[in-house]
Amino acid sequence: MSRITIDRRQFLTGSAALAGFGLLSACAKAAGPTAARSASPTASKRPPLSSESGNLSLLEWQGYEAHGTKAQTYGLLAGKDYTQKYGTKGITYTYIVNDDQALQKATSGGPFDVMHPCNENIPDYINRGLVQPWDTSLIPSFSQLNPSLVAAGKLHGQQYFIPWDWGYGSLLFRTDQIDPADAAGWELAWNPKYKGKISLWNGASTNFEIAALKLGFPKIDDLTPTQLDAAKQALVQQKPLNKLYWGSEYGQEQPNFKSGEVWITYCWQDSLVSMTQAGLKCQFMTPTQGRLSWVCGFMLGAKSENYYHAHEYVEAYINHASCANLTNTFYYGNSNTSVTADQIKDKTLVQALDLSNPQAITSGTNHLQSWAPNRSQLELAWQEVVAS
Amino acid sequence: MRRRLRIGRGAFVAPPLGIVLLLLLGPIVLLTLYSVNLRTNIPFAPTVFSSSNWKDFLTSHTNPFRDRFFYSMKITLLVSLATVIAAYPLAYFLAFVAGRFRYTLLLLLIAPFFTSYLLRIVAWSDMILNNNGIVNQALWAVHLRPSGSGVGWLLYSNFSIFLVLFYAWIPFVSLPIFAVLENMDHSLVEAATDLGASRFKTFWTVTFPLSLPGVIAGFVFVLIPTTGEFIAPLYVGGPGNQLFGNSIQSFFGDSPNWNYGAVLAISLIVVVLVLVMLFGRFLNTDLRRQPVEVER
Repeated sequence: MSRITIDRRQFLTGSAALAGFGLLSACAKAAGPTAARSASPTASKRPPLSSESGNLSLLEWQGYEAHGTKAQTYGLLAGKDYTQKYGTKGITYTYIVNDDQALQKATSGGPFDVMHPCNENIPDYINRGLVQPWDTSLIPSFSQLNPSLVAAGKLHGQQYFIPWDWGYGSLLFRTDQIDPADAAGWELAWNPKYKGKISLWNGASTNFEIAALKLGFPKIDDLTPTQLDAAKQALVQQKPLNKLYWGSEYGQEQPNFKSGEVWITYCWQDSLVSMTQAGLKCQFMTPTQGRLSWVCGFMLGAKSENYYHAHEYVEAYINHASCANLTNTFYYGNSNTSVTADQIKDKTLVQALDLSNPQAITSGTNHLQSWAPNRSQLELAWQEVVAS
Repeated sequence: MRRRLRIGRGAFVAPPLGIVLLLLLGPIVLLTLYSVNLRTNIPFAPTVFSSSNWKDFLTSHTNPFRDRFFYSMKITLLVSLATVIAAYPLAYFLAFVAGRFRYTLLLLLIAPFFTSYLLRIVAWSDMILNNNGIVNQALWAVHLRPSGSGVGWLLYSNFSIFLVLFYAWIPFVSLPIFAVLENMDHSLVEAATDLGASRFKTFWTVTFPLSLPGVIAGFVFVLIPTTGEFIAPLYVGGPGNQLFGNSIQSFFGDSPNWNYGAVLAISLIVVVLVLVMLFGRFLNTDLRRQPVEVER
């Protein structure tokens, strides 16, 4: 019997060729913008609801899972109508902890059927071909939504974004530990008196907005290179005062505030409710420079194979009952105008947070977080702050 | 004479080796392409060769990632050394003192590692080192600290990162040292004792040199993976204690700048390769073949 022999060099050459072949396959160019944007079939060619698998893949923040899923332990009723009709088995969540990560996961992960980004990222999702417009006729409660928020989600004449939750971002501080005279504005986060008791969010663009407000820059989402550098230096200066940059609201921000590990933290207003309920004396600051404000909502994945399920899922979130429950649970504003002030339990909080005002996020001194044209520079600068 | 590989045997090895090579080299080549901007993770963004990220990382005087790299290497070396020093007596005890209970004790030693690494880190963070964790509670109970005032450096500090990594790697370092000690030719120890060497001298001139391959293997076991560690610093490290791995993770996970992240990742791969080559020499050395001199 003849035996073929190869020497080591031949063997290695063969292996390298195999690796190279695989690599070339992997290096194949991604489909261009046109292909990505036309990935979804047209309405006439779209398969009917009955032929959809109903296996919804969602890019979501922790705490917003549909009612009935195991992960939903926060008392949120949103999504109940959907899960009662279709069950929870087909629902899969991929979690996000900040807006930059959300965009990153939407770009490189998935594909997702429904995503839950915020206002400032809408153009990025569209420009990257990650989303397709909603058919608002399939969402009965859409007509009840706040027109000003709906308008923010309309680009190129199409409704890409269904607004749902809105609120504020500010500093929450312990009134029994912090001198009220120190808690006037964002500069509280720079106060060396509280070194080691401060915790900002590991959210790149948000921290630049905070620094921009502290430095008095007028356009917090459109910083000039000089302003960006000044904001970066301010954040580098602030960094040693932090105990940590928190990543998870429920895993780090709230537990650390509750345990006394930190006394000052960046957060959203739901933390005020949770911490007050936990018996802590605390206040959600209204900085002299103004609070940050935000509106988040749902976008439909460009490659979704559950087009009709996705619409029903979102309807189950934006309907009257779900929106009233959202505000009563997390004290976030909601986009459904049929939810009136008298349906919100805590009247004091409603007044303090201006929850019954449909224009709240853009009124007064509030700064609505908006799209940043120099996003990549911001993110690199944030990485430099963290590594400094 | 050229060394020849028989295809009969090679046929069995080639498929898995091919897959390994593909999965090992493929990502490295892809990373290299990202690092010079020949690929991008941002859809429809232009890809043109550029070495600016490399230039910035390697030559910029104020590059924070390079500083972070040196800081990380210091922490890594410190953890590796401390772990080896602490694991040695443990392995020695198991090999020479524990007798027939050695494997039971070994199993107990590695028992916590049947649970998730992440869970153990969260337990350290939330249950042990936290402001309301058991360490601070104990200090309050014995009035060493005023109630409610926790020790500031217990969590989100260099200390907490060091402690958690130290804890995480001790069993893995003990195993190779234990294996070498257990397989050691015990007659050499007896011979040294018979020739009048003291217990310390016997250990230092016979046992320890013979166990060096295990010690080095253990050291490498910690050193290589911890150079890229990011989970522990993420959960128990503060803003000033994040390691180089966190920067890489962040570039790939949080921000859409895979190009810069690839530069950091390739740099780390190069460092790890150098370390493997450096320590691989010692691992290939069979110290049992070397003459052992015992002074009378």
